[in-house]
Amino acid sequence: MRAEGTVDDAGILDLQALTKHFGGVVAVNQCSFRVPRNIIAGLIGPNGSGKTTLFNLLTGILPADGGDYFYKGEPMLGLRPHEICRRGISRTFQIIRVFREMTALENLVAVSRDRNIADVRRRALELLDFVTLLPLKDEYAGNLSYGQQKLLEFARALMSAPDVLLLDEPAAGVNRTLLTTLLDRMHELRAQGKTIVIVEHDMQVVMNHCEKIFVLDHGELIAEGVPGEIQGNARVIEAYFGR
Amino acid sequence: MTRSMVERTPGWVYALYLAIALAGLGVPLSLAGEGFVRWLAQTRSIATFDVTLQVLAGGILQGGLYAVIAMGLTMIFGVMRIINVAHGEFLMMGAYAAFIFFMWLLPRELHSLFTLNIGMAILGVGVFLLLCLPLMFLFGMGVQRLVLNPVVGGPELTPLLITFGLSLILINASISIFSSDFRAIPYLSGALVVGPLALGYPQVVSFIVSAAITGSVFAFLKFSRLGKAVRATAQNAEVALVCGINVERIYLYTFGLGAALAATGGVLTSIQLPFFPEIGAIYILRSFAIIILGGRGNYLGALVGGIILGVIEGLISFFIPMGSRLQELAAYTLMVLLLLVRPRGLLGGIADE
Amino acid sequence: MSNRTLQDSVRPAALPLGGKLPARQRTLQLAAMGGALLLLLLWPAMTNIYRISFVFFLLQYVVLASSWNIISGFTGYVSFGHVAFFGIGSYTTAILVAKHGWPWYLTLPLAGLLPVAWAAFIGYPCLRLKGPYFAISMMGLNEALRVVALVWESLTGGGFGITMPNVENSLETYYAGLAVAALTVAMCYAIAHSRFGLRLAAIREDETAAEAMGINTTAHKMYAFMLSAFWPGVIGGIVAYKLLYIEPDSTFFIIITVNMITMAMLGGKGTVLGPVIGTAILYTAQELVWWHLPWLHLIAYGAFIILIVLFMPRGIMGFLIDRGWVAKGVIQ
Repeated sequence: MRAEGTVDDAGILDLQALTKHFGGVVAVNQCSFRVPRNIIAGLIGPNGSGKTTLFNLLTGILPADGGDYFYKGEPMLGLRPHEICRRGISRTFQIIRVFREMTALENLVAVSRDRNIADVRRRALELLDFVTLLPLKDEYAGNLSYGQQKLLEFARALMSAPDVLLLDEPAAGVNRTLLTTLLDRMHELRAQGKTIVIVEHDMQVVMNHCEKIFVLDHGELIAEGVPGEIQGNARVIEAYFGR
Repeated sequence: MTRSMVERTPGWVYALYLAIALAGLGVPLSLAGEGFVRWLAQTRSIATFDVTLQVLAGGILQGGLYAVIAMGLTMIFGVMRIINVAHGEFLMMGAYAAFIFFMWLLPRELHSLFTLNIGMAILGVGVFLLLCLPLMFLFGMGVQRLVLNPVVGGPELTPLLITFGLSLILINASISIFSSDFRAIPYLSGALVVGPLALGYPQVVSFIVSAAITGSVFAFLKFSRLGKAVRATAQNAEVALVCGINVERIYLYTFGLGAALAATGGVLTSIQLPFFPEIGAIYILRSFAIIILGGRGNYLGALVGGIILGVIEGLISFFIPMGSRLQELAAYTLMVLLLLVRPRGLLGGIADE
Repeated sequence: MSNRTLQDSVRPAALPLGGKLPARQRTLQLAAMGGALLLLLLWPAMTNIYRISFVFFLLQYVVLASSWNIISGFTGYVSFGHVAFFGIGSYTTAILVAKHGWPWYLTLPLAGLLPVAWAAFIGYPCLRLKGPYFAISMMGLNEALRVVALVWESLTGGGFGITMPNVENSLETYYAGLAVAALTVAMCYAIAHSRFGLRLAAIREDETAAEAMGINTTAHKMYAFMLSAFWPGVIGGIVAYKLLYIEPDSTFFIIITVNMITMAMLGGKGTVLGPVIGTAILYTAQELVWWHLPWLHLIAYGAFIILIVLFMPRGIMGFLIDRGWVAKGVIQ
């Protein structure tokens, strides 16, 4: 636990030489970087560069093969996903994982640990309203459109009142209107003090909405900085387009 | 997605399970006490080199048969990710087919001809397989087309339930036609004597045929165009599709082939032991244990695993009191332990997800 | 994880969480249940011993199918070896009654708790296994128990089984069975309408997501598994006492598992009333129509399983819910 008054320059997420391999393939290779508090950060890189694997490592879904990672100064490696979630890190998935046979409202209520059902229900309804899905609260999640399911997953990730939100390709396959809603909400959350890290391929979204960008290639961090710096970075361009 | 059990389990849980296991073993041991000492002495006296060699040889012969059966199962799993619970029933069908052929269809003279000596015995089995296997192959394709094709690619549990239902149908159809009575095929009796070993003729025939079939399957997979297509589909069905392989047809052939291999096992079993409609149940659990032992989807693993299980069962059956009943336990426990501790198996198989 | 179903119906909007069924439906449901319960209570007075037994064994399967449903339907971990708990309960009662002279009803709590302990013991390692592997390992463990019962003669009498002193007990076992069945269904109802049940459904729908959202999936699976082991054990004890004789092959009989799975699936696994309805239909049909051709009933069950999986994966209750004839509760 951090003593009061210390300067929090270690960032809210601190990765140190995180490594993960699958058989002979190194998916994440000695990744080290710090995500500062209360920003919207982007994690980009060509396909197969290890971004989703990194998310899986951070949320405990995959065990790491080396390195360490800290959240608010506390070591997180080795914790199980639900323990990590309870400490304040929540996420969405690249391939949507809503609970299809349950209604939108049930999706949210199911993941809450609050004892008071009235409170939970109220909070769930608030969140559904936050993502403009309130009219669909009794609709089966499986019946929702792709974009609506994405919003639902987003709302579900917020049920645990996380401090850090990891969004895996939030813009993929979503129409412009829903995307705008999503991005607006993201900024609102940022204004509330949360930290958001998004993995994205849509460069417009990344460059226009992220304050800091980390670039992965073949599992390694090859660049970090503000959007302007990244756009001109030779190594990044090479990674995406080859020599 | 899941970490292996080893990584996630806190230390005290290991200690607890170990304590329970020791207590579980210790109680009968302490009660047996003197009996255990006597057993140890008795075992040491009978476990001569010759005897042990005999047991090992018997295990290997048996293992060859297990390997053929397991190979069909692992092929079906490797290519389609389907766990074919009805595999044992395909085996049973092969056994009954052999029964019908040798006992009902074959005129007596030909039957005696085929049981004259070991060469003729192999020929007899070979002739029958030539007739039976294509039929089983077609049957397997029919099953795949009808009930399994709709669910390939979905949750793995669905085909499990479907093949489970299929096995119920097959077992009970067999009971209704043949009754639950044990059937046997009188075959070549006597033993081949090789040095200190006496190897029963049926076992030898079964081993030779198994070896031939296993070899053919390996050759098929490695060298033939269709075999390579099968392997490609097993690795990645989507990519195979893009490469122009007719994946649906591969699924048909694979299941048919798997069924034919199971039936081969059944035919070879029928000449060694009496059989009955529910006989598939014993072999299916053994086959599961073997493919998990050797690695799911790994053909060499099926071979190695089969032989290892055959040997283990032989040793247990011979050296441990009530071993013949306990040997079934060997397969079950082995399977569960492997699933928990090393799901990849000895030789490594298809990784999950 | 794709979830291809052959029939993708657009389902009507569900009941709001915490909301109540419309008053008329509620009264109807309660009346129906009350009526059924009354009928069952009065049944022995109305008919002969054979029919009393018939309903008793039907209730036995209600217990088994409903309990199986807790781990397999609600939580999504399909088990092919659930009869193991029944078997342990049977043997517990048989051994205590025959060898230690316990009165049968005192053995029942133990008959229920020992399977729970066994469930905890095998659940911790085995619930980590994915769907089909969990199913097969449960099957393997059931067979292992059967072999152990066969071989451990000093405890279980081996192949000879255990015989209990002859008593006329059909009335007391009937009412005990009725009580257990009612309690089991009540427990399923309680789970289905609780937050615990909602989390089990989440685990069934997508375990990775559920865990990533803060649900302790291991604990929940364990609880569900242990809960699903209790009542089968108790009813196993009652059945053992009723039959006054048990032996390994019929007690750890895989057909019992087949029956409970088919009954639960036909009625609708994942629902509360599903197993009850499925049992009522199939057991009655079994008795009335197929008694003369025992192998035919299993062929039909096999065909049922295939057809249900392919065309009606949510069973009869699912069908009714989809058509909107029955409102869906949390997990109705």
